[in-house]
Amino acid sequence: MSDDHIVKSYDEELHIINDAIVQMGSLTESLLEDSMNAITKMDKDSVSKIVESDKKINKFRASIDEQIMTLLVKRSPVAIDLRLAISTLKISQDLERIGDLAKGNAKKILPLPEDDLPPEMLNSMRRLGEAVQKQIKLSLDSYLERSTEKAIQVVKDDEQVNDLTKISIKEVLDFLAKDKKNLEFATNLLFVSKNLERAGDHITRIAENVYYLISGDYPKKNK
Amino acid sequence: MELNMNREAKVISKNVDVFYGNKQALFDINLEIFKNEVTALIGPSGCGKSTFLRCINRMNDVIDICKISGEIEIDGFNIYKQGVDVVRLREKVGMVFQKPNPFPKSIYDNIAYGPNIHGIAQNKQELDEIVENSLKKAALWNEVKDRLNEPGTGLSGGQQQRLCIARAISINPEIILMDEPCSALDPIATAKIEELIDSLKSSYTIVIVTHSMAQAARVSQRTGFFHLGKLIEMDETDKIFKNPNNKMTQDYITGRFG
Repeated sequence: MSDDHIVKSYDEELHIINDAIVQMGSLTESLLEDSMNAITKMDKDSVSKIVESDKKINKFRASIDEQIMTLLVKRSPVAIDLRLAISTLKISQDLERIGDLAKGNAKKILPLPEDDLPPEMLNSMRRLGEAVQKQIKLSLDSYLERSTEKAIQVVKDDEQVNDLTKISIKEVLDFLAKDKKNLEFATNLLFVSKNLERAGDHITRIAENVYYLISGDYPKKNK
Repeated sequence: MELNMNREAKVISKNVDVFYGNKQALFDINLEIFKNEVTALIGPSGCGKSTFLRCINRMNDVIDICKISGEIEIDGFNIYKQGVDVVRLREKVGMVFQKPNPFPKSIYDNIAYGPNIHGIAQNKQELDEIVENSLKKAALWNEVKDRLNEPGTGLSGGQQQRLCIARAISINPEIILMDEPCSALDPIATAKIEELIDSLKSSYTIVIVTHSMAQAARVSQRTGFFHLGKLIEMDETDKIFKNPNNKMTQDYITGRFG
């Protein structure tokens, strides 16, 4: 029994969609990393590059939408092919949202002072960012390797991201409590922490859709 | 998807083997067909799905070299038991074929023929009612009511097929077997037959052999996949087309077979 379709162009279309998701995922992973670097190093010059990368990610999303629609019309996919079409559509949507959140975070640093932010606060934010970056890497690996184990691990790791978010928010609130003039900066940094948590949620959804793609079912929350 | 939770098996196949001469066409087929549901049988040409369909009303009996072993029960009664009246069986199990095959008679007589020979109608008035009701159930009445005396063969392909379904219905069957009923029809005529199948299932148990995956997915509640004379997988249609258990089923329905 072959894994290829009788119609070769069908395989090509699926490969193109698969490759697009891999490229989009890799761009989003880099964008998230660049965004975290910009925040922790207060590198305001990199923000414009991040905005440009996000535009590329949005283009991938539009192109993947289009390709999936064509696939549905032309091939009426069923079983594994249908699950690929549906989960890919959702994954590209989540990647786009992660890109938006990472871009939004990078832009949040623009009004911030460059050198007098408390290092503990930036450290807790860095730890949160690292956890989210680890999560997106594992999530994309689960897609590439079609690994339900890795997908489940991503879902489990979300708890750690949520915990680190709480710690990071507490640090920001401490920073705010020290001096009320920190209000504007602290508000921006609260958004950064919250956006990272939301990015984690999107990454978790990606993993859930990878799990669905492979198994035809969604992972149980208590697994 | 809506599922009838109180399912009742109308047809049960137990260890059915079919041979054409020395060649075995079906191997140990065990399955259940539920009452008032549409069951689709799919699989590549020569896989045995039509052979199995024809076992349900003993149509294979007319082929001399065909030998069948095992049991097929309808309502718990083995139709291959000695002494079974095949004519009565076929009254209960109607059939519609791939190519519409109306009799070379009027539209009216196409429907009236069965009730006449089976002695279902007592008088002309009853026969008129049967003809009208059968044509209504087959969603053809409005199109032919003013030309019942015209030849059935003068209708379009899709209308002819609905005429054949009306003819099958006219003798009050409980089960209707359909062997690729839409393969000779255009998409509109196909849609009408599919709509009809959907409305008929509340009164009849329907088994349809089809080469169209999309049709199986659209019209049936359960789907069985045959390959080289074996039943590979049978399950809820939804399950078969979203996440089949067997790799061979998946390879076939996704077009990877070969």
